[in-house]
Amino acid sequence: MKIAITGKGGTGKTTIAGTMARMLARRGRQVWAIDADSNPNLALTLGLSRDRASAVTPLPATILDERVDERGVRTRTLVPSPREVADRYGVDTPDHVRLLLMGRVDHAGAG
Amino acid sequence: MLDERDVTTVVDMEAGLEHLSRGTARHVDSLLVTLEPYFKSLETARRTVEMAREFEIGRIAGVANKLRDSDDAAAVRDFAAAHDIPLAGEVPFDDELRRADLAGLTPLDVRDSPAVAAIDRLASVMERKAGLKS
Repeated sequence: MKIAITGKGGTGKTTIAGTMARMLARRGRQVWAIDADSNPNLALTLGLSRDRASAVTPLPATILDERVDERGVRTRTLVPSPREVADRYGVDTPDHVRLLLMGRVDHAGAG
Repeated sequence: MLDERDVTTVVDMEAGLEHLSRGTARHVDSLLVTLEPYFKSLETARRTVEMAREFEIGRIAGVANKLRDSDDAAAVRDFAAAHDIPLAGEVPFDDELRRADLAGLTPLDVRDSPAVAAIDRLASVMERKAGLKS
């Protein structure tokens, strides 16, 4: 199950995403929470302290291999597997939701 | 990067629309759009859903949030119905969540929050939509 939550700023995306992620984890599901907001604060809703939340580092751009073919079509592939990414760069949170901070990776090559 | 079968992935997306065409949004099976009962939020949700349909992003649903009374609920329901946005949940306004945030706590630290209860029901709805057992 892969759910993305969006909406106007301030309407409660992060509250709903983070709380739902924790609820699902409490039911025994393995949950990865991805913060793709350029102003990320999902860590706090997941229960990390302010200090620990500000210490979370974004995914490095090196996990993506970006190529442009002769027609100018850009493709990006993940170099390690998703699980490797989650294990290596994810941060555990109090309900064991694994937090991944997208940072600029998701934005690479946009536009 | 989101295809691990036994894992549940929840993505907190950026506000706005342009991200829908790239990256993480293309690989999800459900897109949830928040609808707060004021026009700019509803209009953002409408445009987001319109664009998500163009990009053929899986299932699309709305979640009403910060509903203070039955008029708020009716306003969001009417708007959602007018634009064919199915509502997967309705979360009431709960000022305790804001207070908790100020105190460095999370929604799940608030006892008996009706908003948290509604998000729990939303989680069940999303599990059912995905064909998973609660």
